[in-house]
Amino acid sequence: MRHEHGWQLRALLMPPRRRTRSGQLDGLPNSEFVGSMSNDFQIDDADRAIVEQLRLNGRATNQQIANTLGLTAATVSARIRRMEEANKLRVVAVSDFSAHGYNVLMEVAIEVDGRPATDVIEELVQFPEVFAAHLVTGRYDIDILVALHDFDELPDLFLNKFGKIPGIRSMVPAIAVDVIKYKFDVAPIDAREEA
Amino acid sequence: MSAAQLDELDRQLIEALARDARVSNRKIALDLGVTEGTVRGRIKRLQQDGLISFTAITSFGLADSARMAFIGVEVNVNDVRSVAEKIAELPAVNAVMITMGRFNILAICLFNSLDNLLEVASDQILSMPGVHHVETSIAVKTVKYNARVVRITAADRARIEVLDDDA
Repeated sequence: MRHEHGWQLRALLMPPRRRTRSGQLDGLPNSEFVGSMSNDFQIDDADRAIVEQLRLNGRATNQQIANTLGLTAATVSARIRRMEEANKLRVVAVSDFSAHGYNVLMEVAIEVDGRPATDVIEELVQFPEVFAAHLVTGRYDIDILVALHDFDELPDLFLNKFGKIPGIRSMVPAIAVDVIKYKFDVAPIDAREEA
Repeated sequence: MSAAQLDELDRQLIEALARDARVSNRKIALDLGVTEGTVRGRIKRLQQDGLISFTAITSFGLADSARMAFIGVEVNVNDVRSVAEKIAELPAVNAVMITMGRFNILAICLFNSLDNLLEVASDQILSMPGVHHVETSIAVKTVKYNARVVRITAADRARIEVLDDDA
């Protein structure tokens, strides 16, 4: 419970945001939620309606969307392109955990000791098994989501991989026995994805 | 969570569509050196098996919900599934897992103010019958994150079938 009253201070003391290598390794968005967005990009009701249709079916044709919304296909196409080019929108295929053969999912709360948590997390995210990693407030310092193909991978990950990272005092898992929902339709979009 | 039988072509297809879902079947077929019919058939099968779905990810909603929080929930074991399903219906909640460990349910939510988080964690979740305790932890910084891998639910699959029928 040692951080119970200290998190606000810790948040203020957190070093400035910096780019990490992990995002480039897996080609995925890799920024914090605040700070990277500019507010000069305006969207109107037509944009919102188009996005709503794309959330329902990202493969709907411009003509189908246009018919539903009473717009022209050219307008739909131009609106989508404008949002995509401004890195405000990605229309993508999302895939289920099982498509990747991930049969084991667990959340692990990590307590760090004697080393900045920002350094420890940088080492953790180098492992592909670490699916998501956040610095958090509260009793623990780091919260990660681990995705494995099989429980057999667990000893090696915990003992040989995580075990060699200095500064980890304890790791407490919560093993997912069922994933009821896991879908983020609002996410940081990073320009480097274009590469 | 069962292991899916995917071959190399399925994986290449998923990778291409994860970058941009609006690319034409013709372009994908050309890039991967297969016929358009193969691409169409594979996409249909992957969708029907609940392995992929097509959606829009936006960043402009971030102005409204800028922070992520982890809410650990302790629930009567008998009530775990029904409570997890009720939590999953809350619009601010993006992920819900039934877990073994420090708590029975882990919910991940996006919020824009501490009042907003309090409403979700304390007012909505804590007041559900069977819930004993909630423990909230706020993500100060996200270092790694993947919005492309998700849980495709039975409800998602049913919606895809409805769309197919309409087409």
